[in-house]
Amino acid sequence: MSEELILELKGITKIFPGVKALNNVCFQLRKGEVHALMGENGAGKSTFIKVITGVFPPEEGQIFLEGKEVKFKGTRDSLAVGIAAVYQHPTTYPDLSVTENIFMGHQIKKGPVMDWKSMHKKAAELLGRLNADFDPHAEMGTLSVAQQQMVEIAKALSTNARIIILDEPTASLTANESKELYRIVKQLRDEGVSLIFISHRMEDMYELADRVTVFRDATYIGTYDVNGITTADLVKAMVGREIKDMYPKPKVEIGDEVLRIDGLCRMGYYKDVSMFARAGEIVGLTGLVGARRTEVMESVCGITKPSAGKVYLNGEELKVKCPKDAMDAGIVLLPEDRHKEGLILTWGLGMNVTLPVQDELAKGRIFNDNKRERELSRDLLESVDTKAVSIFDPASSLSGGNQQKVVVAKSLAQNGTKVIILDEPTKGVDVGAKAEIYAIIGELALKGYAIIMISSEMPEILGMCDRIYVMCNGRVTGCLDIAEADQEKILNLAMLEKGKEAVS
Amino acid sequence: MAGKSGRTISATPNRSFLKTVLSWEGALVVIFIAVLVAGRIMSPSFTLDGVMFMMPQHLCQLFIVFPMAFVLIMGEIDISVGSIACLSATTACLAANAGLPLPLVIIICLATGVACGALNGFVLTKWPELPPMIVTLGTQIIFRGIAEVVIGAGSSLKYDSDNLSPFATYLGPVPIVFIVVIVVAALFMVLLSRTTFGRRLYAIGSNRIAAKYAGIGVNRMRFIVYALAGLMAALCALFLLTQIPAVKSDEFGKGFEMNVIAMCVFGGIATTGGKGNLFGAFIAGMTIVCLRIALGLVNVNDNVITIIIGVLLIVSVLISGISQILARRKLKNKT
Repeated sequence: MSEELILELKGITKIFPGVKALNNVCFQLRKGEVHALMGENGAGKSTFIKVITGVFPPEEGQIFLEGKEVKFKGTRDSLAVGIAAVYQHPTTYPDLSVTENIFMGHQIKKGPVMDWKSMHKKAAELLGRLNADFDPHAEMGTLSVAQQQMVEIAKALSTNARIIILDEPTASLTANESKELYRIVKQLRDEGVSLIFISHRMEDMYELADRVTVFRDATYIGTYDVNGITTADLVKAMVGREIKDMYPKPKVEIGDEVLRIDGLCRMGYYKDVSMFARAGEIVGLTGLVGARRTEVMESVCGITKPSAGKVYLNGEELKVKCPKDAMDAGIVLLPEDRHKEGLILTWGLGMNVTLPVQDELAKGRIFNDNKRERELSRDLLESVDTKAVSIFDPASSLSGGNQQKVVVAKSLAQNGTKVIILDEPTKGVDVGAKAEIYAIIGELALKGYAIIMISSEMPEILGMCDRIYVMCNGRVTGCLDIAEADQEKILNLAMLEKGKEAVS
Repeated sequence: MAGKSGRTISATPNRSFLKTVLSWEGALVVIFIAVLVAGRIMSPSFTLDGVMFMMPQHLCQLFIVFPMAFVLIMGEIDISVGSIACLSATTACLAANAGLPLPLVIIICLATGVACGALNGFVLTKWPELPPMIVTLGTQIIFRGIAEVVIGAGSSLKYDSDNLSPFATYLGPVPIVFIVVIVVAALFMVLLSRTTFGRRLYAIGSNRIAAKYAGIGVNRMRFIVYALAGLMAALCALFLLTQIPAVKSDEFGKGFEMNVIAMCVFGGIATTGGKGNLFGAFIAGMTIVCLRIALGLVNVNDNVITIIIGVLLIVSVLISGISQILARRKLKNKT
């Protein structure tokens, strides 16, 4: 890495109607470095990326590429000088082949016709360079998210990019896939490519970055050497206050067994899953993505039907035919995908919160009791400290962390809940809001709920749980007490059956 | 567990008079009045009595507007309602001609409608992946086909009894059918806007998966709504028989589904689901009925009337489309 700057942005201000999305921000990227860009949701990182790639021309400020000022009118301009971005959710064409995806927009042609032969050859070369193990003829939709990301990186390389921007690339990757990505990033860096890396994960930054720049509330806070700053200081820079304890787990007297899953099977998904959860206990359920953790819990909650096995609640066998049955019995699920499964984004927060209990609140169980609904939803939303002005704000207007709080409030709406199942509760949530959600989970355990937390994030599993179940390929491969658990043991269990065929 | 920051959230709805007036429903009321005024100016016969006299034959379709609004709010579509009306009218005729008493005729007619709607509902909930448009296109052909087999192609089945005549009478200047429409409209409006049932419909139309995760029996709701659409199509058929006491398989109820969907969309109900209300649909329906009467009175050709209504429909979708695009742009600029 040299001291020479490849990209410099000075005094960038970007104004959207009513909001300053970026306020006099500066940034320096050295040649051949991996530069992490961190900050909470809404800090302006995404807007900043879009300024660099030319999607949003800034109102004020200058961009210098190797010392010369440049002005981008669109992504075409930035691509032409070798700047490419890889986004969190790969923006691909699932029905087209890998090659077609790589060369979308800059196809190699022989006269007026596509030169598929050279494109396939070039694609294979690029994928080989990244050590990818799939065929360029493969259909994009059949690849995993990690593989699709590799295609996106290959696409960036195919345009001879000198600067590659990775926007939360590890958000939907498993630990192993992340490692593979780290390897690729390091390789690209060694080949002289400069990378900007956006992530919420501290591990990513420590593993990869040389320097880190922090944004907060649309302003530039500072640039630090990764080795020269402590995690606590960095979090403070991002959040603007000190987070004393990331995992505030209260001491809870663990009670009797509440939920027992006995030999649950669903053909083609998971097999012979047994586990239990006690009152006040936080039980972790971890494993690699694709280990079928969500599928097990969806069956427990009546969303899918298991083909064999039993579920007991307080010692009594539970017959669940639909989600409502599970909820009536006292099991609530906070689904993984807030936008798709957890919230009606166009609705106000209040109505979202009371949707599962509107029957119970209604007069004569028929006529909506708006007053009671509004009061209940307001109380619940306040109890989880949601950042919102009114219960009539649409759910889409909140940040990820606050949306998650609305989902938590929703799960607390009904009386008689005994078991709360959280599926990836902090996915896509920034550091400040994460700590708040952990605090809420801790308080729920204190109140005596049995909590099952599905998570792929090792630190949160180790930080919050009392007991940890590990799944692999549709089977439970082990159960660890928190006292004996560590990252290595969990990973070993999570990959225990790797290579074996999935449950059929 | 109290909020640590002590932050409070408002639970008072922010209703403003201006917002109500500027809504699409407000605009519809203005359009409705404009149609009435224009009608009065164009034709001297466009009086209260005149309109009331012409109204019954146009009004029947309004019965289907309400359940169709439910179907659309769920994000689905039912294009078999016209055929259901035709088949229900056929069974009503058969029953009446066999000399059955009126209550039995009514029950048979409505039961036919419910059965047809329930068949739609059954197929669509048994195989939820099937698109409602295609399934109800299939049943549209099937139901009308059955009516044609029963009646015979080209011939017409007469309703050989005058026991329906009490329904064709007037209460003062107001036709009975208008009163029934108003009552039905009120019932459906309460059902949609005040009950848990209505809230569930909006939930399903806004985000079906989230609705399922929130414990709503999505398929049960869909079944009920399709059956309800069948029932109301049969009610429509019954009142239509009081006006035209004969059924021709290729004419009776033909095109009703599209007229009704047009009224709903004109009334501000989005075909994508989750949006709109019955007040809008009702006013839109009344506007189209009065427009038809007014244009009919000044001897505008029926086909021209259809063209005008088509234009009206596209303009209304365009207006809501433009406002949506503007709203999206505003949102996009924010993020």
